[in-house]
Amino acid sequence: MTSWRDRLNRMGGRTRFVVCRLFVHLSGQEVAPLLGVLNQAGRQAIEADGDLSVLGEGLVQIAQSLLQYDAYWRSASNEGDVFWDEGEASDSVTELFTDSASRYLSEPDLTEPEPDPDEPLSLPVTQNLVVMLTVAYEGEVPALETDLADAKALETGLKAMINLHYQGTLRAIQVHFSPARLGDELTSDQLLLNFPELVPL
Amino acid sequence: MVLTLSWTTFACGRPPAPEAQNPTRNVSPSVQAQLPDGQYPVQQVTYNDAGGEYSLFLLDTPPNIPSNFRTTDLRMARLTEAEVSASQPNYLKVEAGQASLHVAQDFQIQYVHNVTETQTNPQTGQPETVVVRQESNFWTPFAGALAGQAIGSLLFRPQYYVPPVYQPGGVLTGYGGYGSTYGQAVNRYQDRYQAPPAAVRNQQTLRTTGRLNAPSANRPATRPNSGTARDRSSGSGFGSNTLRQSDPSRPSRVNRGSGSFGTARRTRSRRR
Repeated sequence: MTSWRDRLNRMGGRTRFVVCRLFVHLSGQEVAPLLGVLNQAGRQAIEADGDLSVLGEGLVQIAQSLLQYDAYWRSASNEGDVFWDEGEASDSVTELFTDSASRYLSEPDLTEPEPDPDEPLSLPVTQNLVVMLTVAYEGEVPALETDLADAKALETGLKAMINLHYQGTLRAIQVHFSPARLGDELTSDQLLLNFPELVPL
Repeated sequence: MVLTLSWTTFACGRPPAPEAQNPTRNVSPSVQAQLPDGQYPVQQVTYNDAGGEYSLFLLDTPPNIPSNFRTTDLRMARLTEAEVSASQPNYLKVEAGQASLHVAQDFQIQYVHNVTETQTNPQTGQPETVVVRQESNFWTPFAGALAGQAIGSLLFRPQYYVPPVYQPGGVLTGYGGYGSTYGQAVNRYQDRYQAPPAAVRNQQTLRTTGRLNAPSANRPATRPNSGTARDRSSGSGFGSNTLRQSDPSRPSRVNRGSGSFGTARRTRSRRR
C-alpha cells in the first residue's frame, strides 16, 4: 500500500522526507561517560547557533559512542513517518521535540541547595540513561525505516544515521537525553513511566 | 481538481489501490492547490530571504482566485529562444500542483533582504534570530554570469535556484545554487560559500531544553537531586530544524504521513 503511493509521488518528482526518532536505553554504571559526550554536543550546538553541520558532527559522535557501549544496551524503540510535504515534516519534527522534552524535567532545579564546599564529594551514578535521537532526512534509508528493537538492527540503524551526516541529506537533528548530568539519576520507575514504548533487546 | 489531474496523469494503467477510497489523505492541500493547473502571465515577483518565500503577482487568474500567489516551492526556468521570438510574456506554469516560473533572461525579481541578529530573549534566556531591518534589491537569476557557464540547456528546464550572497547596492546576478530539488540547490550553495543560504539560515531554528548552557551544567550534582522522588528525572535536549515550515495560512495538522514505521508507532498515538 505504501509502496504504491510512494511510486506515485516519486513519479511526480516530489521529494521524500522521513522523520524518525530512535530511543536507546542503556543500563549500567559504566555508561555515565556518555553524559559528557552528550553535553558537549549540546554546548557545541549552542555555540554554533544551531548550524546543522555542527549538530551533524555531534550526532556522529553520539552515535559512535552509543555503538561503543553496545554491551550496555537494554532496550530500544523507534518510530517514524514518511512525508511528501516539507511543511508537514517540519511540523512533525517540532511535535517530536516537544514530546521528547516532556519526558524529563528540563527546568533548572532552583530549590537545589548550593553545595557546601566542605562536604565530601559523593556522586550517585545513574543506572539508566536514555538517549533520544530524532532526524529528518531526504530520500530513503531502509536501515532506519524498520523496527529497530533488535541489537543488530539498532547497530545498522545507528551506522546509517552516521552516514546520513556525511551524505548531507539531513534536514533536522534533535538529541535529548535523560538524566541531564553526572549525579542525576533516572530510576527504573521513572523509566517505565516516561518511556513506555521501550522494547527489551 | 489538481488531485484528480495528478491521479489521471500518474495513475494511468495502474490498478486502483486501496487509497482510492480516501484520496484526501494522499496529497496535502498545498499552496499551489488553490491555483488550478494552467499558465498565468506574471507581472511581478518578490523573493523574501526570511523564509525563502516567493510572492507572485499574476494576471488572468480565475475570478475566485486572488492574483497574489505565495509559495516557497517554486522552480524557475528561462524562456526558451522559441518562446522569446514568439514574444511570450513571463509566465507561471502550474502542472499537477507543481509551480514553475518561466522568465526572460533579464527578468528582475524583487529581493527583500532581512538583516538579522541573534539576540538573547530576556524572558526565556534562549538565543533567537531577530529581524533588525529589511533592505530591498533586485535579483536577476538568469542574467550575465550564467551565460558563460556550461549548464546550457539546463537553464530551460525548471529547477530550484537559490540566490547568490546578498550584496547591498548592486543587483544580484546569477544564482548561488541550483538543483532538481531544493535540498540539492542548497547543498550546491553550501559547497560554494561554505555557509547555508540566507533563507535556510533564517529558517534554521535551534531549540534547547534543560541546563546545557547553565553554569551548573559543567558541575556535577553533588547530592542526589530531589528528582529521584519525582516522576521524571532531569534531562536536556537540543535540536536544529532546517525544514521549511508549513504555510501558516493552512490549518496545521500533523497527520501520520504516508507511511509509518518503527516499534513505537502504535503506542505513541495512544500516548498523547
